[in-house]
Amino acid sequence: MFSVLICDDSMVARKQAAKCLPDDWEVQIHFAKHGGEAIDALKEGKGQLLLLDLNMPIMDGYETLENIIKEGIDTKVVVVSGDIQPEAHERVKALGALDFIEKPVSKPVLKKILLANGVLEEVKEEVKNEPAVDALDPDVRDCYQEITNIAMGQAGDHLARILNVFVRLPIPNVNLIEVSELHMMLQDIELKDSVSGICQGFVGPGISGEALFILSDSSFGDVARIMGINGQVDDQVQLELLMDAANILIGTCLNGLASQLDLYFSQGHPVVLGQHRSISELISSNKLRWKRTLAIELSYGLEGYNVHCDLVLLLTEESMKAMNYKLSHLLED
Amino acid sequence: MEELDDLDDLAEFHWMMDMLQTVDVGIVVLDTQFQIRVWNAFMESHSGLLPSQVRDRNLFQLFPEIDQAWLRNKCRPVFELKNRAFITWEQRPYIYKFPNYRPITGTEDFMYQNVTLSPLTGATGKVDHMCMMIYDVTDVAANKKRAEAVEVTLNELKEKTGHRSM
Repeated sequence: MFSVLICDDSMVARKQAAKCLPDDWEVQIHFAKHGGEAIDALKEGKGQLLLLDLNMPIMDGYETLENIIKEGIDTKVVVVSGDIQPEAHERVKALGALDFIEKPVSKPVLKKILLANGVLEEVKEEVKNEPAVDALDPDVRDCYQEITNIAMGQAGDHLARILNVFVRLPIPNVNLIEVSELHMMLQDIELKDSVSGICQGFVGPGISGEALFILSDSSFGDVARIMGINGQVDDQVQLELLMDAANILIGTCLNGLASQLDLYFSQGHPVVLGQHRSISELISSNKLRWKRTLAIELSYGLEGYNVHCDLVLLLTEESMKAMNYKLSHLLED
Repeated sequence: MEELDDLDDLAEFHWMMDMLQTVDVGIVVLDTQFQIRVWNAFMESHSGLLPSQVRDRNLFQLFPEIDQAWLRNKCRPVFELKNRAFITWEQRPYIYKFPNYRPITGTEDFMYQNVTLSPLTGATGKVDHMCMMIYDVTDVAANKKRAEAVEVTLNELKEKTGHRSM
């Protein structure tokens, strides 16, 4: 069977890319969190097609492309990135990538590119224009992305000031996801026991949601160093670090969003996910209440450190009404 | 007429203060030097210290058992970034060592506390005070500890009987 390898440090982006593969295409899907994992998987023959992100920790997309050439690995690479700078486009093509897709990837675009590059063969005359039922209006998405960008800029600045480090700012990933996908996304966390998570509810007039903060466990050593903690980084210290980082990131991000939406968010007390209760339990109790959720995902990195964390803001579908109303001045043409 | 309005305002202020006093959550207002400015009835009852005994006193002098460096660190984002900060009982069971709210039927010796630190902005727009809210989460903590103990026992039983697939 044809194998597709999806390499992205953001789990939502990985799921999103997997979801955008053509429906009728029978493929085996593999995932990698960074270039290093991708190269290993490619050597095992797990990736006749590679969907590659550029900004990743450990080994980024450019280095991955270089390594593919150096090691003479046979694979077709399509770069999927939020880096919209023209040089990025040129550079990856020079390094052998077939094509470049801007994030967030969509089904029609991916299909078109796969067809254009001969990766996918046209099946019959299947040109029926699927109405994008669950797709977010591009203008709305753009607007959410922009206000999150601004909020993240503030959050990054705050984090940088408190920690005295340079923060690589993420490009927010905004998607409407089904509960089943949220389930998948969170199970992904449960399967890898190497992450710790905190979740915190927030509510404002007409808007409600939860913030999910996930820190990879390999980051704790460096986070402790940055925070100036000497000695053993045991479970208790890790929990402190997790709470501190979550407080700053969730708090400043919500503050930034609230000021742009001109409202106030109440924040519930954070709950420790990893230790508190199993993630499947958490989802099963929410299953009936949620149909779809607006997910804003942010992957942070710290320059010069092996620190990686994800902040996911999940908003109820109903919240979008209130948000769109508040943002109507931005949404108008 | 104006006098009546003033009276109304005064009455409103009175019951607002009453509410702040009687709400069953600990409320402490601290300035940037950690001097206590507000100490509500919850704090008074559980600590046994009157507001007059703590007002304008330094928090760390009154409660030397509080880890000063640790708490100052938690408060930095509140004062510097206008950010709310949260401390869960799992990090530290309590900030103030208070006895259990239910001294007879309670199973724990002391009150487990969740703490919220919230910035208070002055007239100049600068954060010059901070509100510390103390929530009693003893029941939550006790239930969680019990659930974990049950899980451990269950796992031991499973190991013994070899029903790992249970």
